[in-house]
Amino acid sequence: MESIITVSELTKRYRDGTEALKKISLDIPHGSRFVLLGPNGAGKTTLVRILSTLSKETSGDVLIGGEKKNQSASLIRKKIGVALQSLTLAPEATPLELLVFQGGLFGIAESKAGEKALSLINRFGLEKFRDKKIRNLSGGNKRRIHIALALVHDPSILFLDEPTVGMDPEGRYGFWSEMKRLNTEKQMTLFMTTQYLEEAQKNSDIMAVILDGEIVFSGKVSDFISLNSGKEGSGNSLLTLEEGYLNFIEEIRQRSGL
Amino acid sequence: MRSGNLLIVKRAVTGLLKNPWGFISGLGMSLFFLAVYSAGIGGIGFLPQFENGGYTAFILPLIIISLSIGSTGSAGQALNRDIQSGYFYRLYLTPVLRITFVAAPVMADMISMAVGTSIILIIGFFLKVPFAFGFLSFAGVVILAMLLAVALSGISAGLTVLTENLQAAQITGVVVFSMMFLSTTFLPFDMITSSWMKMTARINPLTYILEGMRFLLAGSSYIYFISGFMISLLLALISLVFAYNCTRKSLM
Repeated sequence: MESIITVSELTKRYRDGTEALKKISLDIPHGSRFVLLGPNGAGKTTLVRILSTLSKETSGDVLIGGEKKNQSASLIRKKIGVALQSLTLAPEATPLELLVFQGGLFGIAESKAGEKALSLINRFGLEKFRDKKIRNLSGGNKRRIHIALALVHDPSILFLDEPTVGMDPEGRYGFWSEMKRLNTEKQMTLFMTTQYLEEAQKNSDIMAVILDGEIVFSGKVSDFISLNSGKEGSGNSLLTLEEGYLNFIEEIRQRSGL
Repeated sequence: MRSGNLLIVKRAVTGLLKNPWGFISGLGMSLFFLAVYSAGIGGIGFLPQFENGGYTAFILPLIIISLSIGSTGSAGQALNRDIQSGYFYRLYLTPVLRITFVAAPVMADMISMAVGTSIILIIGFFLKVPFAFGFLSFAGVVILAMLLAVALSGISAGLTVLTENLQAAQITGVVVFSMMFLSTTFLPFDMITSSWMKMTARINPLTYILEGMRFLLAGSSYIYFISGFMISLLLALISLVFAYNCTRKSLM
């Protein structure tokens, strides 16, 4: 399948010399549901920030939707939707106001942006709160608006950094159903990071594992589970991504003496 | 993406209208200074050093510059609010030009300064300030004030974006406040007795802006107007370049 995100030899070095990403290469096919796993501080958020044009890479190439990141960042921003880990909301606005404004920033006419905003409000179950100030809403509802904002302009790629943190089970279910719908009906490519491996297993088809700034696995979720299940001599056959992941990380750490 | 840029400007101006307290307190403080200075030392206005304008025409530019301290902090505050709430990052993820996020609140401060300066000038008109060139004097002073607002607000906005700290941006106000008193603030050059103070006033850019406004109001030397205009234009440009660079460097 055709790649929509291609990352080659990507390195990010901060001013203090810390190397957050070390020559990372990734190929994400169009329409896939990709999840990036890794422990805290492994470089997941750094990678999302670079791919979403918020941060600059130190070296390497990034191609998103056929556009080179270092040449056409503005064009890339039109193609991507981003929901960062931290909320990015204007607390004094209402969800409806903020969604319409967000549409305007992408050049969508006010009437059309209004329609889109109302449709997102319905899809994310925010009807009751649409005219309330965001600062007065619960964390879970803020998170829903945060994600809805990333969808106003119908992006073809959606970056979701820890998207379901703070959401109740009902909210999570609704969220994942919506993601599945966008992926199947609109072929939207999903690039996610999460620490909830059960959700990752259910809602992604390809994955990568990042550890200390390096990609240590990249491939199908099903392949990852089979590769890391039923270790020789252990006598048990692992079935979940979580078990496989924990086993994999432990093995890598033992091998590298970390 | 012109409409997106316009929306950001509109949001900045609307934000100022929704929260006019900074502007009101700045204007109130400036008018208070005008009343106090005129009442306290206005009596020396008959001296030949004050030429035809009298002391009110002499002190009015200082009142306008003091207004700039109160009126140009809104850009930094607005940016700080967006940075603290995280909304600034959301804006960064849109195709709108990044400079717009800093330029828009600076523009709002500039408009606020133009309105405040106009109010002060209208009060000056009723206090019999001569306006040596009629409406051109009025417009000239407003333009100088707007350039000064861009210069101060741009630095404040740039510092806020760069440091993500409002306190750093407030340094601008402190610096201008100090510079205000190291100039021909209360007396013309000829009446300043201390040599170090005279020297400081000569190298202080605010002196030329003050004197430029005084030329427009009372018709003193036009040299000051030209240098005052050039200096404020240069400061405004430097400030915008600084703000632009800060925006580029932020979020690296």
